[in-house]
Amino acid sequence: MLRRLVPLCLVAGLGSGLTGVLGADPAGAAPFKLDGPPKVAMVLFGPKNDGGWGQAFEEGRVRTEKALGIQIPVVDNIKESSSAIRPAVELFIKRGYNVIIGTAFGYSDTFKELAQKYPKVAFLNGSGTTNGANLESFYGRTYEPHYLCGMAAGAVSKEGKLGFVAANPFGVVNWTVNAYELGAKQTKPQATTTVVFTGAWNDPVKERAAAEALVGQGIDVIGQHVDTPTPQIVAQEKGIHGTGHHRDMSEFAPKATLCSLVWFWDRYLIPTIQKIGAGTWEPSPYGAFLSIKDGGPDIACCGPAVPKAVADQIQTERQAIIDGKKVYAGPLTDRDGKERVPAGGVLSDADLWKMDWFVPGVISQK
Amino acid sequence: MDAPSETAPQPARDGAAAARAIPPAHPSRRRLGRLSVGVRQHASARLQGAVLAGGLLTGLACAAAILVAAGIGPADLVQEFVVAIVTSPESAAAVLVQGAPLAIVGLAAALAFRVRFWNIGIEGQMIAGAIAATVVALHDIGPPALRLPLMLAAAALGGSAWILGPVLLRLRIGLNEIISTLLLNYVAFNALLHLLYGPWRDPENNFPNSQLYEPSEQLAELGWQNLTWALPLAGVLLLGGWWLLSISRFGFLTRIAEANPRMGEAQGLPMTRVILAATLASGALAGIAGFMICAGAEHRLTQSFASGYGFSGILIAFLARNSAPGVLAVALFVGTLFVAGQSLQVFYQIPASAVQLLQAVIVLCVAASDFFIRHRLRWLR
Repeated sequence: MLRRLVPLCLVAGLGSGLTGVLGADPAGAAPFKLDGPPKVAMVLFGPKNDGGWGQAFEEGRVRTEKALGIQIPVVDNIKESSSAIRPAVELFIKRGYNVIIGTAFGYSDTFKELAQKYPKVAFLNGSGTTNGANLESFYGRTYEPHYLCGMAAGAVSKEGKLGFVAANPFGVVNWTVNAYELGAKQTKPQATTTVVFTGAWNDPVKERAAAEALVGQGIDVIGQHVDTPTPQIVAQEKGIHGTGHHRDMSEFAPKATLCSLVWFWDRYLIPTIQKIGAGTWEPSPYGAFLSIKDGGPDIACCGPAVPKAVADQIQTERQAIIDGKKVYAGPLTDRDGKERVPAGGVLSDADLWKMDWFVPGVISQK
Repeated sequence: MDAPSETAPQPARDGAAAARAIPPAHPSRRRLGRLSVGVRQHASARLQGAVLAGGLLTGLACAAAILVAAGIGPADLVQEFVVAIVTSPESAAAVLVQGAPLAIVGLAAALAFRVRFWNIGIEGQMIAGAIAATVVALHDIGPPALRLPLMLAAAALGGSAWILGPVLLRLRIGLNEIISTLLLNYVAFNALLHLLYGPWRDPENNFPNSQLYEPSEQLAELGWQNLTWALPLAGVLLLGGWWLLSISRFGFLTRIAEANPRMGEAQGLPMTRVILAATLASGALAGIAGFMICAGAEHRLTQSFASGYGFSGILIAFLARNSAPGVLAVALFVGTLFVAGQSLQVFYQIPASAVQLLQAVIVLCVAASDFFIRHRLRWLR
C-alpha cells in the first residue's frame, strides 16, 4: 500500500517545478527611505523575561521607547522557523509598521526574504547573518567585555583555575572563551579556563550539571556564555565567584558575581531608528558589528569581591579598548602552537567568525 | 504534625456510622434525583458533531472570557479571530502553511496509534528524514530534475529507519516503544547538532546550520502568498491516508490490530505485518514532514525545525480519533489557533505564555467533550 502511495508523492514533487525562490539582490545605491514616520515593532525569539538575551532586548526596547517618545510593540516566543516568523512580521507590516527588529540568528533567512518582499520596510536583526538594501544584522564584539571580565576572574581566583559554561563550540562562542582566558592572564599569568559546552543556549539543567562538575574539578571562578543565570546561581550556592553574560547577573547572585557582559541595545537602536527616520540610513553590507564605543556590549563591573586596584585596572583597559586597543592582536598562537596572528597584526573579522581554535590555557573537550 | 493526622479521620468514621444507623438519610437529595454515568455503545455522527462543537464553543467562550477580563473588547476579539483570519489572505495562507506539516505529523501519529503503537518519537523521525534528505541535497545525488523526489524518498526511508528499531524490539522482545521512541528523539537531535556544528556547518558564515539548498532542492512556490508545493503534497498524503485507513483492507486489519491483535492472530490474520507496515508508514510520514519543513520553508537543515511537532502530532491524532479527515480538520484548527494567537500577541501585547494558556483551555475543552460521546449521562429520580 505504501508502495502505491509513493509514486503519487513523486508526481507531486516533480510537478513542483524547479524555479528559484530567492531573487538576486537589488543593488541598493540610494539610501533607504521610509514612506512615513518610523513605526517600530520588535519580534523576540524567547520569552521577554528570560533573565538573559530576550530580557536584554526588552530592556533596550523600553529605553528606546522612552528616548524616542514612541511606542514599540513586542511579540515574544517567536521560534526560529519561517512559519512562525512570517505571520508575526507580516501582521505588523500590514498594520503599518515599517521598522521591524528581529532578535535571532535563526531569523536571518526569513528576514532576507521579507526584506526583498517589502522593500519599503526597514529590517534590523540582532545576531543575524544576512544584510541587504533595507536589512542590517547587528551583533556585538562580545569578546571585549569577556576579556575585561576575565581580568576580574583571574584576579579573584586563588590559583587561576577558571571554569566556563558555554553553549555551542563555534566562532561566536569560541571568541568569548579565548578572550576570557586572555583577560585572565593579564591578572594571573598562570590562569587556565576549563570550558564545558552544553550544546544548548537555554538549558538550566545541563548548565547546572556543567557548573557543578567544574566546581568539583576545583575551579573557583565560573564564566558563562549561555542564556540563563544558572552558572552564577551555582557559584553563589558553592561560595565561589562568577562572571555573567547578557545582563548584570548580580541580580541573581549578588555575592558571587564579579563582572557581567551587559547588552545596551538602545545605544544601537536609537541612532539607527533616527537615521532610518531621517532617510540617512545606509545598512552595512557586512552587518553592524558593534564595539563598546559603537554601542556594543559593555561591562557591569565590579562586584564587592574585586579589589579596588583591579577594578581600576579593568576600567583603564576598557578605556584602552575604546581608544582602539584590539583584544586579538598579534603575536598570537593557538594552544597547539600554530601561529594565528603574526606580531603587529590583528585578527580580521572574517577570521573571528570562523574561530575554531583556542588560545593556550583553554582546556576543553575535544 | 502527627497528632492531628491521627485524630482527623475520627469524625468521619463517626459520621459513617451515623449514616448507617439512620437509613433514609437525605430525603431532599432523593427528591432532586442523581446523575448516572453509563457507557454509550454507539454515538451517531450527528451527536458526535454536536458534542465536539459544544466542546469547542465552551473552550472559545472560556478563552474569550479570559481575554475580556484582560481588557480586550469583545468586538475586537471577533475581529481578530474571525474576520482577520477568514478575510485576510496572509492569515489564511499562514494557517495553511502552518497546517500542512501539522497534518502530516498528525497522520503519522494516527497511523501508529491505529495499531496501538505509541510513537512518541515523531520528532526524531522528522530529524532522521530531514538529515537523509539533506544528504541527497548536499551531495547532489541524482540529476537536478529528480532531486526533490529523491529527497522525498530519502526522507521517507530515513524516518522509517528511525522507527524500525523500536518496532522490531517491541515485536520481538516486547520492549516498551514509548521509552524507545522517546529516547531516540534525543539521539536524533544530538546527531543533528553534531552534523550542524561539525561537517555540515554553513561554509558561508560558519553558523550552525546546513548551507542553503539549491533552487532545485527547494519546494517551489505555488504563486499565491507564500504557499509552496508542501500543501498539495500534504493533500495527497492525507488522501492516501484516508484511503489507507478508511477504505482499504489494510485499514480494516488495523482496526483488528487496535482492538485485539491476539484474536486477529488466532484468526490467521497477518497482525505482525500489519503493525510493522503501519509503524513504518508512520515513521516515513514523519520523515516526509521533516523534508517538507526543510525543503519548503527553511530551505536548509536547521537546529530547531522539528521542535514541538512531535507532541502536536500526538495531540492532533488524539483529537482526530486517528482518522485522516479528522487529522485534516484538527490540523487546520490548531493552525488557526496558532495564527490567531500570534495576532493577539502582536496587537494586544498579550504575552506568549497567556496565548498558550488560552490554546490549552480550548484544546482541553474539545478533548474533554469526548467524554460525552463515549458516555451517556442520565438523571435518575
